[in-house]
Amino acid sequence: MSAAPRERSAPRGGGGPLVAWACLQLALGAMLAIWGEEVTALLFLGGALPLLVVAAWNHRWPPSGRPRLLSRVSVPVVLLALGAGIGAIGFTGGLWLGLIGAEIAIFAAVWLAREIVLEQRAARRSAVAPPTAVAR
Amino acid sequence: MSRPGPASTRSDFSHVWSIYLWIGVGVAVLVFVVVGFAIVRYRAKEGREPSRLAERNSVEIGVATLIAAIVAFLVFTTFHTEAKEDDSSRPDAVKIDVDAFQWGWKFTYPGQGVTVVGDSDDEPNFAVPAGRTISFALTSSDVIHAFWIPGQRFKKDAIPGRTNRFDMEFDGDGREQGLCSEYCGLRHSKMRFGVWVLSDSSYERWLAAHR
Amino acid sequence: MAGGAPVAVEVERGAGLERGLAWLVATDHKKTAAKIAVVSLFFFLLSGLLALTMRAELAQPGLQFVSDHTYDELFSMHGSGMIYLFLTPAALALGLYLVPLQIGASQIAAPRLALFGFWIYLIGGVSMYSGFLTDNGAGSATWTATIPLSDSAGTPGVGMDLWVIGVGLATLGSLLIAITILFTILRLRAPAMTMLRMPVFSWTMLATTFTVVAAFPVLIGAMCLLLAERHIGGIFTGSTGSIAYQHIFWFYGHPVVYVMFFPFVGAVGETVATFARKRFFGYRALVVSLLFFTALSMAVWGHHMFITGAVKNQYYALTSTMLAIPAGIEYLDLIGTMIGGALVFRAPMLFALGFILQFLIGGLTGIIVASPPLDYHVNGSYFIVAHFHYTLFAGSLFGLLAGLHYWFPKATGAMLRERLAKASFWVLVLGANLTFFPMFFLGYEGMPRRVADYEPRFGDLNLLSTIGAGVIAVGILMVLGNMVLSVRRRIPAGNDPWGAQTLEWWTTSPPPLRNFTSLPPIRSYAPLQDLREAGEEREERAEVAA
Repeated sequence: MSAAPRERSAPRGGGGPLVAWACLQLALGAMLAIWGEEVTALLFLGGALPLLVVAAWNHRWPPSGRPRLLSRVSVPVVLLALGAGIGAIGFTGGLWLGLIGAEIAIFAAVWLAREIVLEQRAARRSAVAPPTAVAR
Repeated sequence: MSRPGPASTRSDFSHVWSIYLWIGVGVAVLVFVVVGFAIVRYRAKEGREPSRLAERNSVEIGVATLIAAIVAFLVFTTFHTEAKEDDSSRPDAVKIDVDAFQWGWKFTYPGQGVTVVGDSDDEPNFAVPAGRTISFALTSSDVIHAFWIPGQRFKKDAIPGRTNRFDMEFDGDGREQGLCSEYCGLRHSKMRFGVWVLSDSSYERWLAAHR
Repeated sequence: MAGGAPVAVEVERGAGLERGLAWLVATDHKKTAAKIAVVSLFFFLLSGLLALTMRAELAQPGLQFVSDHTYDELFSMHGSGMIYLFLTPAALALGLYLVPLQIGASQIAAPRLALFGFWIYLIGGVSMYSGFLTDNGAGSATWTATIPLSDSAGTPGVGMDLWVIGVGLATLGSLLIAITILFTILRLRAPAMTMLRMPVFSWTMLATTFTVVAAFPVLIGAMCLLLAERHIGGIFTGSTGSIAYQHIFWFYGHPVVYVMFFPFVGAVGETVATFARKRFFGYRALVVSLLFFTALSMAVWGHHMFITGAVKNQYYALTSTMLAIPAGIEYLDLIGTMIGGALVFRAPMLFALGFILQFLIGGLTGIIVASPPLDYHVNGSYFIVAHFHYTLFAGSLFGLLAGLHYWFPKATGAMLRERLAKASFWVLVLGANLTFFPMFFLGYEGMPRRVADYEPRFGDLNLLSTIGAGVIAVGILMVLGNMVLSVRRRIPAGNDPWGAQTLEWWTTSPPPLRNFTSLPPIRSYAPLQDLREAGEEREERAEVAA
């Protein structure tokens, strides 16, 4: 087994396929716009633009390869989904349902924000200490 | 630009169908045979080492080119036939306005003073002269329906607020069954109609009887 | 360790939760994927029951069991359930589970987002199906909800609103899952795993996420607009309005069928390579054709609108027929993987072969309907029903079953019963073809779709089809029974029961929370195969030296 040529800690690139695919979208859209004269050709931008933005973002801020913060469970994010879902159903179920859903969602969003902030503090503390630190 | 003759949707369909079907069947048989061959020939056997061959770009390009050629042939066939089925606005065509509604059909012969209406309880039948171009103007009064005559191998959407124009030509004589083929609600399955294909003289008599 | 996976700092949160409850709120991608799998299986069985009810009604001409309106609900919810609530989420769940394992990552990117996506999808599904409990019943405007039929006059009632909202939520959930997979591939590959060393399945997942990102938001927008149309009105007015709705629906409605296809092509590719004892043939050609295939699949939607007369038929006929080119390359690569191999016909391989041969029938009939003159006859008929059931059921579902049988040992640590699996394969082949092949003839002869009753001359073929549906039900029960039996009375699988080639087989079965404790060297898209071949070469050299 030969020695690894270079110790890298993060993957490189990855944006190439996104850019290629976005270009294919633009080409197909242009063909429809010119040949078919259809305004629906604009829909192709919906795929091309987000992928180009993501590829550019990934290039400008590549992954650092640093240890990632992982939480085993997250109750607030589930509550947020429940609140948002119930709120959406409120569009037909009645204003009362929409309000209940929104209240749950707001409560959950605040809780989630707090959870994330506390975790990031714990991660900064443990970055000084050895990995696999445990915090509540 | 001179047109190649009145559109016979049935013969247009049959021509294109046979080309596509035979090529499709040919490809299917080829793939089945090759896979069958591979299954038998390359079964794991004592002492057989699998090859390490992992790519052959010349084959990939060759196959892609071959398929592209078949695609080009199919598309050309399709485009050629498609052009024949566009509305011709022939001056000597028989004009029929078709209005679809939930859940029946209204057939109007503009300028002839003839209207035939029927619904899911009372199937309407309209008549056409054989061998002549029939110019349909199709629309809907409520939701989207579709005007399908399976024997003619043709259908078109009936869209509220829009008139779809198309030509058909009927041969022989007798009754063709027509139906709605775009789901349109509760009695979609009962939204049927009939087409009497008649000789010129019978057609004139039919018109006179329905004025 | 060479090519190490990023080490993760873990916050032990929720350690006090009950085991069952902890599962519901767990962020681990493997658990989220399992949750999606269970829920999608539930919706599959529910939607399948609707299909069995439909087939019971269609066994003979006349109305025997259900009313016309109930039948309208049945086919609408069957199609909706299968597409929005089963096959799309299941395809994405397969990726959610496997992609981090295949690319050497310890966890998915944004695990909380994936968890959120699961719950939103579940609520969406519950919303859709709860329509059955309302006065006017569940959504009954087909899975496409075409305007004007789907507006408040055409399909009144809360059930349809719940359907619209449910579809939007379920699609949002799927979109979020796909986004996490995309970012995982982009940013969390093991450092030695360049894009061109990613395994075949991960490449098909990447291509799938492109399609989802481009198409799914448009459907969510369409559902918002449809809901507004139903409650406020004036959005999709006139013929331009109804055509516009079809555009924004089918812009999603076609790519979604490829979302329900590509992950399973990837699963079949991995399966065939493993059971041919050969690395996948034509990898680079596959990568290129995947990008073309998925990009092109975004440009064909108008073929659903050929008979409206409102689209440029020629453009869509061209793009739709061109799909044959990348599809042909994928078939060439699958066959090329088998040729020269040492084929072993375990159950996953049987399902993979079933996919290859049966999807072909669906795909070729797709080329037929890509021609407007041919579509003018068979659109809206049972020919189309046969076409898409060959691609989605006889094709994609068989691909899903290939992946299920292939990766079940990895996910559970237990082997499936081989004889039962093979028997269930043959039952499903019989059932699928008996159910759907007659439908080609029914459609050609003039039977429209979405009807509870039909002309008496169609009775015989319909009866045949219904018998086939019963056979399918037996086959599905056999697969489910196999899964239950295999986890109850376990045969341990070990890390790599198949002698496979990709990274997920390096770790334990099931994988630990952080997926890997070490990684092998990664120099190609088949790292374990590389190790195996290097080991064989060493042995040969040792023999020669001795």
